[in-house]
Amino acid sequence: MPERLRQLLPSVLSVLLALGVCWALIALTMEPGTATDAYLQMLWGGIGNWPAYLDGAAATVITRPLGEAAMKAALLTLTGLSVAVAFKVGLFNIGAQGQMLLGALAAAVVGAHVTLPGVLHVPAALLGAALAGAAWAGIAGLLRIYRGVHEVISTIMLNWVALSLVDNWLVVGPLRGAAEGGQSITGTAEIQATAVLPRLLSDGSRLNLGFPLALAAALAVWVWLTRTRSGFETRTVGLGVEAARAAGIPVARRMGLAMALAGAMAGLAGAVLVLGTEGRYPGTLGAPYGFDGIAIALIGNNHPLGATVSALFFGVLRAGGTRMQLLGVHKSFPELIQGLALLFVAGRMVWLALLRRRNVAPTAAAEVPRA
Amino acid sequence: MMLRLHVLALTALLCACSKQKEEAPPAGAQAPAASGKTEKKALPVGLVIDVGGRGDHSFNDAALRGLELWAAGKRYEGGKYVDASPDEVRKSLPPHLTSDAARFQALPIRPIVLQSKAQEDYVPNLQLLVDQGTRLTVGNGYMLANAVRTSAQENPQAQFLLIDSQVLDAQGKAMKLPNVRTVLFKEQEGSFLVGALAGLVTKSNKVGFVGGIEVPLIQRFEVGYRAGVKTTNAQAAQALMSVYTGSFNNMAAGKQVAQDLISKGADVLFHAAGADGIGVIQAVKEARAAGKSVYAIGVDSDQAHVAPEAILTSMMKYTDLAIYQAAKDLVDGSFAAGEQVLGLKENGVGMAEVRVDFPGKAEALQKVEALRQRIIAGGLQVPALPADLAAFQATAP
Repeated sequence: MPERLRQLLPSVLSVLLALGVCWALIALTMEPGTATDAYLQMLWGGIGNWPAYLDGAAATVITRPLGEAAMKAALLTLTGLSVAVAFKVGLFNIGAQGQMLLGALAAAVVGAHVTLPGVLHVPAALLGAALAGAAWAGIAGLLRIYRGVHEVISTIMLNWVALSLVDNWLVVGPLRGAAEGGQSITGTAEIQATAVLPRLLSDGSRLNLGFPLALAAALAVWVWLTRTRSGFETRTVGLGVEAARAAGIPVARRMGLAMALAGAMAGLAGAVLVLGTEGRYPGTLGAPYGFDGIAIALIGNNHPLGATVSALFFGVLRAGGTRMQLLGVHKSFPELIQGLALLFVAGRMVWLALLRRRNVAPTAAAEVPRA
Repeated sequence: MMLRLHVLALTALLCACSKQKEEAPPAGAQAPAASGKTEKKALPVGLVIDVGGRGDHSFNDAALRGLELWAAGKRYEGGKYVDASPDEVRKSLPPHLTSDAARFQALPIRPIVLQSKAQEDYVPNLQLLVDQGTRLTVGNGYMLANAVRTSAQENPQAQFLLIDSQVLDAQGKAMKLPNVRTVLFKEQEGSFLVGALAGLVTKSNKVGFVGGIEVPLIQRFEVGYRAGVKTTNAQAAQALMSVYTGSFNNMAAGKQVAQDLISKGADVLFHAAGADGIGVIQAVKEARAAGKSVYAIGVDSDQAHVAPEAILTSMMKYTDLAIYQAAKDLVDGSFAAGEQVLGLKENGVGMAEVRVDFPGKAEALQKVEALRQRIIAGGLQVPALPADLAAFQATAP
């Protein structure tokens, strides 16, 4: 157990250090008081304004911020899972963004253009999104398995293909929602009421079914990776392809399925966005949740539950970050905190790697004369 | 090294914690309320600007000018508001209003501006402003149309101003809400004037148009521009090149497209592309530095200050005035929902002062002015839809 705690420590400290550095940056450029106020505003915007609530304000001062945080956390959890799952099989999925765009579009199309009874419509749209994301990731997976194309290259490039295909063509072209009389509307047609992810609260909070869905997905991925044979084989492939192959594990199938699952997770993130809050594929889906997923997964140590915890944390930060603007603090600080945390986490990995090499070095040197 | 990292983290954390404890009580009373102490009667007015952000020298900056500088008499500097001098306000006014500068006294309002990071931030940002107690909340841009509908329906007690779009229902049909004022502009009329000027200025008889996202709103700029060029220079209208960048916040894309058009021989470029347009202006500036005689035409705000040599004129869209007017109505207690459509006649759009010199300037400006008078008098109907462009033929005055 202490060993596990020790594994957690670097991530936690990195996040705290990032928070401290950003606080210092705001304090230096503005005033220390402003920095503290901004952090408090961020906190109230993420977990709810408890002091105001205790002073007798309506419950919405808590449920609305929590709903926003949960919504962002759901998206980050799913994209984080996408990256983490691919990591487990030894692949670096930088394409969660593109897979998410495809998933979002699929959800928007199924939600708007397919008529189904309410009970089936949401699952159908989610399924469509998962399949679209999986197919997009599958391209990179197949290229890797059969042609040896490195997935980092192919997923990065597929991100741009997805952006051009979806944002720059389909959404502004054939799939643009209809409007009457020269109205400018952005995005695809609005999804039908049956396809909307049900809200869990009825007071204006946007907390919806997407959040428990994301948590369930994280739990399922964790159970699959740790408690099933195929999950075990997947992790084995990630630890050593040749060893896994020698042990009789179907490496190509494990890689392909893990990559498809990664794509499905990113696709679901897109679906949660479209079905949960946007109601359509927006004119531009600019928010880089897919890229954030990389940070979330790394800070979460590539563990499904670790990624969930880090997604919850950054969801709170993101949702609350907007409120920093009320004090004149720039809108980018929540991202800055996340980026710095990632930098520190990565720094710790470099450091660990250096240490390991130093231990190994003498033996390697000893072997040289023999050769 | 690890140790040092930890110590750093801990000190930073401790600093943060001790500070938080010290400062907690005043912050707990909510910062906005605290700043309200100094100006007790100031009405909070919220503004959500789109993903183009602050500092686009165009659409968003026009909105900020209307709310912060004109309505509140404030200037935004390093995350804080400072009082602006009357001279500053006067200098920022368009020519047809400078004589009226005394009217622009600071109103007792307190602006709260939120920038959006992504499309999905619009609804929570509007909600946050409403929760801050804003008496009027402005959604700047058609991209916020859906968000304003949602927020206005969820907060029937709050009042909204939506710029550049009507409220649209799920089917994309215009609808009315009792707590939303919408303001549309006849962009085609202002674009017509700059197009007419472009047709007179071009030497290569090739002019270009750079649009942002291809939606009917931006098409109105293009259609008006085309009609204007056609009126003064039929040959240039034939060869008019038009490109859409597909974004409003990608300077690099605007620059690339503009460089492409310049290399194809265009010597006047009109942009309606938000921050992408800054890239267009940069490309024109660089082409001028390389010895080419090229002009850019700005949009929404007078963009001459971005590159004084390179900007022929700007197609003005007085969103600043619309927002100022709404704030004034709010203060006067006469704010009412409804739909406004502002054209040349209503001074909703126009053409900025031409500050650069070119051969035949006086004559060209005379012609443009004559066209302006005809549009205002109703003798000239500028088309707004691409479908009506082919039929458009400006009859001789």
